[in-house]
Amino acid sequence: MDFNFDPILQSWRFLLDGLRVTLLLALGVAVCSFVLGTIVGLARRYGPKWLRVVLVFYIDSMRAIPVLVVLVWIYFALPALTGVNLPPFWSAMFALSFHLAAYVAEVVRAGIESVRPGQVRAGLALGMSGPQIVRKIVLPQAIIRMMPSFGSLLSLAIKDTAIAAVIAVPELMRRADAVAGQSYAPVEVFSTVMIIYFLVIFPVTRAVDIVYKRISFLGRS
Amino acid sequence: MTAASVVLQYRNVRKLYGDFVALSGVSMEVRRGQVVCLIGPSGSGKSTLLRCTNALETLDGGELLFDGVPLPKEPAAIRKVRQRMGMVFQNFELFPHKTAIQNVMMGPSTVLGLSDAQSRDRAEALLAKVGLVEKAGNYPANLSGGQQQRVAIARALAMEPEVMLFDEPTSALDPETIGEVLNVMKTLADDGMTMVVVTHEMTFARRVADHVVVFDSGQIIEQGPPGQIFDAPHQARTRDFLGHLGWDA
Repeated sequence: MDFNFDPILQSWRFLLDGLRVTLLLALGVAVCSFVLGTIVGLARRYGPKWLRVVLVFYIDSMRAIPVLVVLVWIYFALPALTGVNLPPFWSAMFALSFHLAAYVAEVVRAGIESVRPGQVRAGLALGMSGPQIVRKIVLPQAIIRMMPSFGSLLSLAIKDTAIAAVIAVPELMRRADAVAGQSYAPVEVFSTVMIIYFLVIFPVTRAVDIVYKRISFLGRS
Repeated sequence: MTAASVVLQYRNVRKLYGDFVALSGVSMEVRRGQVVCLIGPSGSGKSTLLRCTNALETLDGGELLFDGVPLPKEPAAIRKVRQRMGMVFQNFELFPHKTAIQNVMMGPSTVLGLSDAQSRDRAEALLAKVGLVEKAGNYPANLSGGQQQRVAIARALAMEPEVMLFDEPTSALDPETIGEVLNVMKTLADDGMTMVVVTHEMTFARRVADHVVVFDSGQIIEQGPPGQIFDAPHQARTRDFLGHLGWDA
């Protein structure tokens, strides 16, 4: 079998711009889901009972529904129900963030709960208040302990953007699909795309691991 | 010499965990400047009593008076009481994300609202007192167990407490570092600090305590001066307990 990489060389600007959209979307999803997920995680741990029930329902549903279904629902069903019509990029950003935030919330909660109860007692014994203990003792340690899980969620944030191809967000996967279709060179095009995703995500997860190894002692009580 | 005033008074204190009776009617008192050692088998209620003292545990019966006033229930008032008592834990519980000096500064800066410079001065003086000035910038992960526990003592002292509570402060330590912690505690006692110490270090109790309380199954079986407890215990169970530790009464 002969390989023909010409279509990729010819449309490299087109694909590169797709990568730009992918990274932009990934960055947006990472930031939004981490902010939203942290708030949800904290509220689930420390909030009033009724709020916790609502949030558990949200988290359970997001974990039970495929991200593709959430995306398609927000893009096609939400406008029909509410009349609010979001462009594909923003629909994808919203759907992917909303989905991933549930996982972030679970990581945040687990991180908080993994801090030894003795640490809270030490704060109480000093006369610190609950909010002071959370802010100055529990959260700083929890965040460090959460890092490995955050690292894998970050790679998920990047990978999941490929799903946005189905609602025609012009990101890498969507454009690769177009190039592959026109050139009849699916092996070359999709292999290239695979390698690009790997080259983007692999350093991210390695970097998180390396940083974590250096600072994990700060969270080990 | 007139008797010093009573700082802590336990009146028929009861504590339950579900069906388990952790404390069944404990009465004792601690006077200002006294070192009181609580001894007895594991699970006999000593640590529970200590935790009740600064309201880390709530009582299920009886009364606990601090400076003549029953322990309050409102969170703000409980915090005020805790600020006047220092506590040292078996597992040190230093904050791992803070350096030694930052650990000691935590109370003064967050609870007492001292300026950074003021709490740093206070922390430095206390680290000097426990012999660890040169380790001020170390994180707990880079300190030995004995050093960590000395920092923890300094952290508790930084609140300038009236009473210090020690919950088996040397039980998690390597034998070679136990001495340095006990020495710091001895110095504190000599300075006149009121101390309640849960311990398995009988030599320390014998040498430093003014009053020794023996616990078993959630009750006080005997209390008195160390001479009585260690040399002429009135109760057979005290003799048994000390005998198990290899102490010849």
